[in-house]
Amino acid sequence: MFSMTAKIAWASLVRRRVRSLMVVIMIAISLWGLLFIEGIYDGMTEQMIDTAIRVDCGHISIFAQGYRLDPDLYKQIADSAVIDEVLQHDQRVRSYTKRLQQTGLVSTAHAARGASIYGVNLQDEERQCSLSGYLYPRANSDRIQREYDFGVKLCGALIGYKLADKLQVKIGSKLIFSAQNLQGELQSMVLKVSGVLKSNNMLFDDKVIFVSAATARKFLGLEGQVSHVAILLNDETQTLAVQQELSREFPQLEILRWDQLYPALLQSRQMMKVSNMVISTLIFCAVSLGIIGVMLVSVLERLREFGIMQAVGTTFGQIRNIVVVESLLLGGSGFILGAVIGGLTLVYFRAYGLDLSVFSTAFEQFGMDAVTYAVIRPSFFINAAIAVLMSTLVSVLLPLRVLKSSQPVEIISKL
Amino acid sequence: MIFQLAVRNILAHKKRSIVTLILIASSTAMLVFASAWMEGSHALMLKNAVEIYPGYIQICDKDFPAATSYDHLIFDASAIEKILNNQPNIASYAMRFESFVLFSGDEKSVGAMLTGVQPAREVYLSRLAASLQRGSYLTTDDTNQIYIGAELAKRLKVEVDDELAFVGSGADYSFTADKVIIKGIFKTGLFDFDASSAFINKKYFDHIMAAQNLATQFVVLPKNPQLAQQVAEILNAELSIKVAEQYQAQSWQQRMSGLVQAMELDSMFGYITLGVIFIVIFFVVMIYTLLAVYGRVREIGVMRAIGTTPSQIMAMLMLENGLLASLSVFAGGIVGGILAVYFEYNPIVISGMEEQFKQYGLAVSSMPTIFMPAMIVRDMTVMFVLTLLSTLYPVLKVNRIPPIEAIHHV
Amino acid sequence: MSLCTRSLIVLLLPLLVVTCCVAVPLVFALDQPAAEIIIQRVEDNLNGDSLVMDFTMVVATQRFQRTMRMRSYAVGTHKSFVQILYPGKDRGITFLKIDNAMWQYVPRIEKIIKIPVSMMLQSWMGSDFTNDDLVRESSLSADYQKKILSADGQMFLIELIPKDEAAVVWGKVVMGVDKGNYLPTKVSYFDEDGLLIRELIYTDVQQFGTRLYPTRWIMLPKQAHKVGHQTTVQISNLVMDSEIDPVYFTKRALKQFSQ
Repeated sequence: MFSMTAKIAWASLVRRRVRSLMVVIMIAISLWGLLFIEGIYDGMTEQMIDTAIRVDCGHISIFAQGYRLDPDLYKQIADSAVIDEVLQHDQRVRSYTKRLQQTGLVSTAHAARGASIYGVNLQDEERQCSLSGYLYPRANSDRIQREYDFGVKLCGALIGYKLADKLQVKIGSKLIFSAQNLQGELQSMVLKVSGVLKSNNMLFDDKVIFVSAATARKFLGLEGQVSHVAILLNDETQTLAVQQELSREFPQLEILRWDQLYPALLQSRQMMKVSNMVISTLIFCAVSLGIIGVMLVSVLERLREFGIMQAVGTTFGQIRNIVVVESLLLGGSGFILGAVIGGLTLVYFRAYGLDLSVFSTAFEQFGMDAVTYAVIRPSFFINAAIAVLMSTLVSVLLPLRVLKSSQPVEIISKL
Repeated sequence: MIFQLAVRNILAHKKRSIVTLILIASSTAMLVFASAWMEGSHALMLKNAVEIYPGYIQICDKDFPAATSYDHLIFDASAIEKILNNQPNIASYAMRFESFVLFSGDEKSVGAMLTGVQPAREVYLSRLAASLQRGSYLTTDDTNQIYIGAELAKRLKVEVDDELAFVGSGADYSFTADKVIIKGIFKTGLFDFDASSAFINKKYFDHIMAAQNLATQFVVLPKNPQLAQQVAEILNAELSIKVAEQYQAQSWQQRMSGLVQAMELDSMFGYITLGVIFIVIFFVVMIYTLLAVYGRVREIGVMRAIGTTPSQIMAMLMLENGLLASLSVFAGGIVGGILAVYFEYNPIVISGMEEQFKQYGLAVSSMPTIFMPAMIVRDMTVMFVLTLLSTLYPVLKVNRIPPIEAIHHV
Repeated sequence: MSLCTRSLIVLLLPLLVVTCCVAVPLVFALDQPAAEIIIQRVEDNLNGDSLVMDFTMVVATQRFQRTMRMRSYAVGTHKSFVQILYPGKDRGITFLKIDNAMWQYVPRIEKIIKIPVSMMLQSWMGSDFTNDDLVRESSLSADYQKKILSADGQMFLIELIPKDEAAVVWGKVVMGVDKGNYLPTKVSYFDEDGLLIRELIYTDVQQFGTRLYPTRWIMLPKQAHKVGHQTTVQISNLVMDSEIDPVYFTKRALKQFSQ
């Protein structure tokens, strides 16, 4: 029985080829546009969040109490060994890094600037955020190997590109970093620029100098303490749970999530979701209108046909099914076509990115990358499918009412 | 006669006409509103960024922005004042002297900017007075009282009426130090600004910093802020003739190009989104026209049979579409315009967005629209053209059906 | 010649040759001291065990010229105390330096300020010397590798390259030293690329007791944006190697000896 309904539905669509085609194209194009917009907006937002999380604070950050509001060498995390134990045995933790931090003055013969050193372990950082990928300008692979290194004497430094510009230094240049050590004495040390980083994180590119943890430790007079532990989880959704557990385990430390450290980022994501939803709604309202129009007219002009069918015994239910299937076929084909071209577009932009370098000044100032990579989420397609389904079903309601309220005999006798 | 036919047709097929009317009118209203909203919010963001402190036009030494040292001061402030006093297109101006000092509270020393300002004049040029949080704003008779940013006060752990000391360099490079009293605390919402700025009466500042007749910059408010760039050009010309080549006037667009571009980028995305929506509507209108026109195939066939030429049919149909389109676009434009005016004075407030904007140096919580008739007319024209184009295809198609076939169309 | 004499000659000749080969260069070398020694003597001559100086500092820019008078007490390069005596506006300001830390007392605000890291490269009292210059006075002996570039005429020209671990911003320092009195004549500071950043000239050598000392120091910045700037120090009185009351090098001294 269903196949008969389907055949009749298909036949009526084909009979009015131009009209049907237009509806299908309309749905397809709107879906394509919607997927593109969602993919790009989502991509932009996620890139921004990702940069902050990966390079800076991780999903969860651990500090000593009061360190964030008033950074001081006296406020360090003392039990880093215990933390190591806990984190290494937690399956949910993908990677974590420990950093020593101090703010001071970096100077060359030409200029001096306020900056902070981050004492890090390069292997850990590589695992956490592929830090070597941010080396700038991009060089061929074996040069990167040499640059992503603190040198034999561990006096190398990786410096943000904005800071490098201001100090007018290049690879191999000498930097003098001065700061107070744990004993309150002003110390200075020599660093050699071994690489320049462009992380698109405003803070890092302008103020941070990565040095070897051993060097920082010696310079600052610290022993086993660290200033900051950044944790990356395998699954972002477990952030809250892990945070709560760690807080119970280490009540004397401050355990913070990334959105507590940077609420602006979370807001960006929320705003993006809201705006995508608004846009989807608008688009699908328009699409519904299109389908309603077509279906209504299609039903109205076939009233006679339906009248005759009812006269020879077709039930109203069967006719209703025909109309519904027609609508679903239109929606379905439109969806498939749209999903395919939209999906292909997203795949392209995910691989090659959308280059907006013409707005480079804006991107530079706000620390974003001018090339945006699209994001593909199943939810885009699922939401779109639901929306198309709903539009098609809603749009047959009116025509069906018209159909229901008409009497077969009346229709046949009308011309 | 074609005109009469067109009108009759529109009235005859009421349902279809009304649906098309609603569709196009709402789209137009949406376009008008969306444009007004985007332009309005951007304008507000920029206005805020400019008006909080930087100002619409700034006059300074050519090398000052790059190297803020005492070597690049305005050395004869009175000469510049004379020029500005004779400018008809300026509403007000003020001079400032910015210097970097070390503030020493009871516990901590913090480096920050201490700026000598003319308190009475600043009221028209920046939001300093309006951002008062505690205590009171400066007056022209104040001496060693300072007006300090909330975050800076927090860092130094001081409150209103507390005493603070600072050391720095005078304009003659001499060592300067003084004790000041906190008269007022302000909060603009821009964290960086509030954490590193303090202001003092320039008359007193000049006295301790040896800055008489000196300034780091002049801030100028043109009578019409929209014409900031043009006024800056005029001032530039005047300056190079009457004072020195060394000084330049820059409009905010030149100084804050990053922010301007960011707004443009945002607009671009907005229009792309609208574009996608309008492509959909384009198709919807096309479909509706197609349906309507095909519903009248027989009628058209008959007309052709009695001798109406294809081009006359075309003219009639296009005229119908044109009339409907103009009517709808007009209606939509009016509705959109009303919304634009309403939301200009009662802006939409989206809570929960402030943090984001603060990060980018924008203190925003409300997003108003802006009523710009020119923009509305532009939007209406776009919709009109779009609508008309979308009806073209169905009309052409229907015209191609041979009359006999048309008459027999079911 | 007899067999004896010949064997003597055969034995002694090589010895003679060897001795000559060794002795002659040695003699020459002794005549020309090693760079290390030169620099050490220069530092000794400039600092001694202790140094008390009265001097005038004139800071000149394209627009201004300011004069200040001060007195300084220094023990080696690790401790020093400076009092500003003139002009009246700055009178009573005192500076104390112990090792790497520096404090300043400003009577007008009645506060002792510890100079933070961020101010280290700011100019000292508006001159072309930085706080860092006064604090670090990085030891030339310890921080640099020295080489004699030339020794003709009246002057040695010594090239000083910072050692790898030395925390100095310069790429190279070149010092001219007078052969007669082992006092510096000109010190040039270069960045890593060999660009001249500033020059310090010592002239007007005078006698103070048993010591000779350059009484006029001129600091000339060479960077483009500092054209026209110059700081001149004129020493009016100098006592070396005297006993300085250690109380001068305590924080108390900042306020105590302010006026």
